[in-house]
Amino acid sequence: MPVGLVIVAHSQRLAEGVREVALQMTGGSVTIEAAGGVAGGALGTDAEAIARAIAAADSPDGVLVLMDLGSAVLSTEMAVEMLGDRLQGRVVLSDAPLVEGAVVAAVEASIGRSLDEVARTALDARQMTKVKR
Amino acid sequence: MTEARLTIANPVGLHARPAALFVRTAASFQSAVRVRNLTRDPEREADAKSILSLMTLGVEHGHEILIRADGPDEEAAIATLRELVESNFRE
Repeated sequence: MPVGLVIVAHSQRLAEGVREVALQMTGGSVTIEAAGGVAGGALGTDAEAIARAIAAADSPDGVLVLMDLGSAVLSTEMAVEMLGDRLQGRVVLSDAPLVEGAVVAAVEASIGRSLDEVARTALDARQMTKVKR
Repeated sequence: MTEARLTIANPVGLHARPAALFVRTAASFQSAVRVRNLTRDPEREADAKSILSLMTLGVEHGHEILIRADGPDEEAAIATLRELVESNFRE
């Protein structure tokens, strides 16, 4: 089973949008969950919602979590703690840029790469250039 | 080794969804698959099974690429990738 992905963002629409773009890369073979915003639709991140998303994206090969901004990392760390021993060790928090990282990770996961490989390539997405000088 | 020279006809080139489809297709074969962008830099080679590597080639609409496969299923790999490119990535 491919590595699962979770997109954490301060806005639900942002998380859903990144998920939509990344899913298009996979041919439907990778589980990608979005956890954005807080209850009531306000901006923020919700550890419980993130924990549910991680559990839903879980696969024997692990889960890579991509986040938008700093405090999303804190909420995700809380979520991983909430999940307890069951998932710890196969959840990796990525420092990759959100959109590039999600797209690259989605492709890597779809071709059956390991969690380590998917995580490494997502980080390498930092080097991608889009404006040619 | 089996190879093919192909011209990329789809508007966005080898980026985004077409690049992902190309990588997924290449990765479904055992053979090593390498790509060059003959239009931009014929000396530089990318791994067709790596999305990041492939995107560094900057393959745009109208560029000519060289695909080389080496391994037990190289002919099938080239035939399938050729079909993918010639069908404009099934768009």
